Amino acid sequence: MVGNTAEAEDLTQEAFLQLFRKIATFRGESAFSTWLHRLAVNVVLMKLRKKSGKETSLEQVTEPDDESGGPRRDFGAADLKLSGSLDRVNLQRAVDQLPPGYRAVFVLHDVQGYEHNEIAEIMGCSIGNSKSQLHKARMRLRELLHEEIREKAREERRAAGSASNSED
Amino acid sequence: MSATNCNEFLNQLEQWMEGERSADARAHLRTCADCRHIVEDLDSIHETARVIGATETAPSEQLWASLCVQLEHEGLIHTQQRHWTQAVAEWFEGVFSVVPRPALAGAYLVALVGIGLALAVPGYRRFNWGGNSTRLSARLNRAELDTIAMVESDPAVTASLEKNLAIVDNYIALCEKSVQEDPESEIARDYLYDAYQQKADLLAQMSERGAGQ
Repeated sequence: MVGNTAEAEDLTQEAFLQLFRKIATFRGESAFSTWLHRLAVNVVLMKLRKKSGKETSLEQVTEPDDESGGPRRDFGAADLKLSGSLDRVNLQRAVDQLPPGYRAVFVLHDVQGYEHNEIAEIMGCSIGNSKSQLHKARMRLRELLHEEIREKAREERRAAGSASNSED
Repeated sequence: MSATNCNEFLNQLEQWMEGERSADARAHLRTCADCRHIVEDLDSIHETARVIGATETAPSEQLWASLCVQLEHEGLIHTQQRHWTQAVAEWFEGVFSVVPRPALAGAYLVALVGIGLALAVPGYRRFNWGGNSTRLSARLNRAELDTIAMVESDPAVTASLEKNLAIVDNYIALCEKSVQEDPESEIARDYLYDAYQQKADLLAQMSERGAGQ
């Protein structure tokens, strides 16, 4: 979720420390695994928010809609397709750019395979909210990945242009 | 011509991706390359994310070591101290790797009986604890010096003696600390005498080995 092994290990350690510090507060109202995941996700979200400089409460895990009230609806250039050009490296890079709330839901659902009801419990939100955040996260990822493809194409054109100029 | 246009399809895209697919949406997707393009992209993202999930690696061993240190530092866990029986097991293993059992005679018995008799005196452990403990400790120290002198010509025996003395002395130090912390504890005293007895046994066996050179 943080896209960096060293940072992920720091957060793993912090999550386990929190587990030991807070184990007495577990009252058995939910499954222990859910409680533990919630604790771990909170540790990660706290870290991500500190990094982004936003001081928001942990309960506020979801993102406000943008001006249109939902994900942007551009189709993207017809010649740009992710299939075939998408690999785990550039997807990971795009995931790193997602806002914390989107990223948490996307990682829990698409990367780790949790169901929306489980994510709702872990994140303390509704199932509908989890679905909506996931959809927005995927749409935002698509935009980011398309931007990357476009940028790469521009660089290639620039490189080709400068190569032909030097030949002249 | 499908009844759903692109905007309507995009309104249903979230449901589509969740598997809720109406006949109208299906019909639209068959005829609209742009919307098909979006769905294919989202499917690609979903599939690639699953690959990331499948290739996640476990944290390093260093992480767990560091976590243990931090938890101990905060007093959240206490590393279990080695039980004395483990120390004894290691000690026996060390001794019998060097000293053959039949060789246990003469000096071994002398030292064992000497210390054993001292420990077996009725009421010994209850009265004059400090004086007896000091005398025993001093006697063992003298025996240790004698034993070291006896085995010093054999590097293998010397190495084994040093290794086993370190284990037993460590055990004695732990027991002495327990007795100092709780001088009235019978259990702590029993453990300390037991530790002295083990050191006496070790020195006797090593003396036997040295005498046999």
